[in-house]
Amino acid sequence: MRKRPIATNDPHIQALARIVGEQAILYRKEDLMAYDCDGFTVHRHLPRAVVFPNSTEQVATIVKYCHEHDLPFLARGAGTGLSGGAIPLNGEVVISLTRMKRLLHVDLENRRAVVEPGFVNLKLTNSVAHRGYYYAPDPSSQYCCTIGGNVAENAGGAHCLKYGVTTNHILGLEVVLPNGEVIEIGGNGVPDPPGYDLLGLLTGSEGTLGIVTKITVRLLKNPEAKQTVLAYFDEVEDASQTVSDIISAGIVPAALEMMDQTAIEAVEAAAFPVGHPKDIAALLLIEVDGISAGIDEQINDILTICRRHHVREVKVAQSEEERARWWANRKTGFGAMGAISPDYLVQDGVIPRSRLPEVLREIADISRKYGLRIANIFHAGDGNLHPLVLFDASKPGETERALAAGSECLKACAAVGGSITGEHGVGIEKKEEMRFIFTDEEILAQTAIRDVFNPKNLLNAGKLFPTPGRCVETKQASSTVK
Amino acid sequence: MLSMAWIEELQAFLHPEQIKRNESFHPLGNDGAVTVYPQTEEEIAAVLRYADRHGKKVVIAGRGTKRGFGGQREQADILLSLEHYAGIVEHAAADMTVTVKAGTVFGDLQRALAPYRQKVALDPFWPEEATIGGVIAANDSGPKRLGYGSARDSVIGLRVVYPNGTVIRSGGKVVKNVAGYDMNKLFIGAMGTLGVLSEITLKLRPLAKYESVVLLSFPSGDIHDIRSFSISFLDTMMEPVCFELLNPALSERLTGRPVYTLAIGFEDVENAVHYQEQWVERLRPKAAEMSILAGEEAAAFWRTFYTIAPNGRLARVENGVEAAVKIGVVNLDVLSILRESVLIADRCHVRIEAHGGLGHGLCQAYMHGGEEGVSAAIEELRQTAVRLGGYAIVKHLPLSLRQRVDVWGGKPSYFFLLEGIKRKIDPNKTVNDQRFIGGI
Repeated sequence: MRKRPIATNDPHIQALARIVGEQAILYRKEDLMAYDCDGFTVHRHLPRAVVFPNSTEQVATIVKYCHEHDLPFLARGAGTGLSGGAIPLNGEVVISLTRMKRLLHVDLENRRAVVEPGFVNLKLTNSVAHRGYYYAPDPSSQYCCTIGGNVAENAGGAHCLKYGVTTNHILGLEVVLPNGEVIEIGGNGVPDPPGYDLLGLLTGSEGTLGIVTKITVRLLKNPEAKQTVLAYFDEVEDASQTVSDIISAGIVPAALEMMDQTAIEAVEAAAFPVGHPKDIAALLLIEVDGISAGIDEQINDILTICRRHHVREVKVAQSEEERARWWANRKTGFGAMGAISPDYLVQDGVIPRSRLPEVLREIADISRKYGLRIANIFHAGDGNLHPLVLFDASKPGETERALAAGSECLKACAAVGGSITGEHGVGIEKKEEMRFIFTDEEILAQTAIRDVFNPKNLLNAGKLFPTPGRCVETKQASSTVK
Repeated sequence: MLSMAWIEELQAFLHPEQIKRNESFHPLGNDGAVTVYPQTEEEIAAVLRYADRHGKKVVIAGRGTKRGFGGQREQADILLSLEHYAGIVEHAAADMTVTVKAGTVFGDLQRALAPYRQKVALDPFWPEEATIGGVIAANDSGPKRLGYGSARDSVIGLRVVYPNGTVIRSGGKVVKNVAGYDMNKLFIGAMGTLGVLSEITLKLRPLAKYESVVLLSFPSGDIHDIRSFSISFLDTMMEPVCFELLNPALSERLTGRPVYTLAIGFEDVENAVHYQEQWVERLRPKAAEMSILAGEEAAAFWRTFYTIAPNGRLARVENGVEAAVKIGVVNLDVLSILRESVLIADRCHVRIEAHGGLGHGLCQAYMHGGEEGVSAAIEELRQTAVRLGGYAIVKHLPLSLRQRVDVWGGKPSYFFLLEGIKRKIDPNKTVNDQRFIGGI
């Protein structure tokens, strides 16, 4: 941040600058451009200002100021969110928590750690790895996304099939409420604090109920052993049936991931190719962990199931290095789309696992209908699909078509009793699609809860819930998703 | 009795045999002038709608195991029993999910899932009497919470009948879902103060192929020995489903040995279970005595274990009163709570059987003694918990004592939010009024 004297007539910006200091606020248009969207780039809007508090007290003072002056505001972490939760639709004051990035406390005997919201997810695991511990939720963006953002979105990841998503690992929160009041829930990590489960409610509330300023998380001990299997299939159907059978055989893999042919084409053209055959229809990446004495039995069962479903080739990783390569190939899968398409849009539907074959067929139909390629790269084990709609925003009308195709994929998920989002959140992107799964009454039941915390609706307004009366927002889809 | 004419009005939506007038009331309170037994969600909604419109108070019950948990009244107007609202709605075995009506007995549910080698990963008390709805509403969990997680980790969807009779769904039928607020969490452990749980959808886990319980008893009674063994074992890569310390009084009842005993449970393939048992053997202090209960013996141990807590369904207690207290602290502080339980029992002249999980931080203390002694013991235990940064809530106590002892132990600083949520959903305080923290 450049050191320039505050040069604006906006009294609110001057007031905010007094709270955080002149070096910790951005308000010039050229500086604000970087904050006009997050990982969902179809909508953009400039914030009024971006402030960088360094303490809970500063956050509370900023919020109190906004509350008193009726200024819309929202919190932002690393900006990796994929549904537009941090986009300042209403010209919000953006409260960036990236300076609050300390690891405050580690207590391995009680398996917990306390972090500030700007602390990066992967850094937590790296900080305790030497003692054999880790933090379980592992979104693909974990090398840069913040734990505060993970709490807001209830982030998942490849390994939540066995270990659960963020909400299963949060023990305590310090929260600045939308009126600036600071509360602490769950204190030092004591389980089941008496009262309604506000930890559970706040986690995944997409930054609409409060701003988290301190987080107590659970740490896990590394599993004793880990085995990773890669299986190539000639038919998508066979791969999906394998997924179903593994789950119903009573195996709980740590991760069970699938990629289809288009996705494989992309990852092989990108930064971490591993030499997957180009002509296979689908691959499965399966990881099993636990007590070493029990692993072989599970691996044998998995290999048997793969063979029963005509697997072309199946192999077990022979080294940690090989395993790491397979995972790097998978985890950078979204970004890899850039290698085969100028733009892409990622969706996040969830279905009952046994419906995988029919829903994948339906997605293929949607792809044909809209004349757009759709790659599938997803958490098959928990039925969490990520259809990636490939498009070229420079071609007139194609962005709109991509959005429509994405929405139709979600409709297909909802139709089999699924959900419109498994880990990316609703944000701006899917708020109209909420109607696919909730009635108006059920949506009102949720906004009634929001009103308890956020009665003025100044905090992150216009997210998560459909606009009453279905007046669809048609802000022009400006550009791309990279 | 002129005020009882309204009971006739219930016949507009219930059959006469679904309505029972009560003459005498239970010493645990939480009774009703009338008990109703709805058999459908529409009937539940009709009862609530009627009550909400006519200013009647409703107490919600499954089969009554938790009747002594919270509540300030001898009787409300209507006791809404879900006993006759039971059964599995849908078991999607291939998806490993089940949807079940709230009045289903927990053990019945597990037995229906067992042929598919599946289970609900929860281990509540009194599984053969408690209903799944009660387990979820009271957020009950046992020692295996360490490996299983708690209700909030298993529940993926709910149908809730709001006090005004509206049915609201939360979550769904998929195992991963972040669409909208995670409203499931609001109702889990809400003690029925936000509505009636109608249907519950849970994710399932495979039944373990093999299980055992290692009992490790510490005749020296030296808490430091237990502590250092526990720290070193929990720092290994072993995966016990429970790591529960029993105080000497409870150990005597369950194992015959009146000394501190660790019950360490393993569930995995047989090889992996034996391998982990060997780790216990290798790390245990030489003075500690170790025995292993395998297979059916382990199952029998747990069957007994889950019936040690007071049960609101059972006949009244002879010679004094019973209480159950749940204490939450940071994991290893469980050691301090259990040691205190022994000292407090002596000081207050009551019997206290207690256990707590060193891997999850929850303790349960069961008391039996005179009214004064039990009240004093609860207070002392609470002070100890609060000093450690934790809390103590009373899960079972006769009504007369609940009116004197604060069941929930004061209000958190953010109580206004809890109150605000209650007001939004149940503005007339129709359901389970005063059953929860701060008189919610």
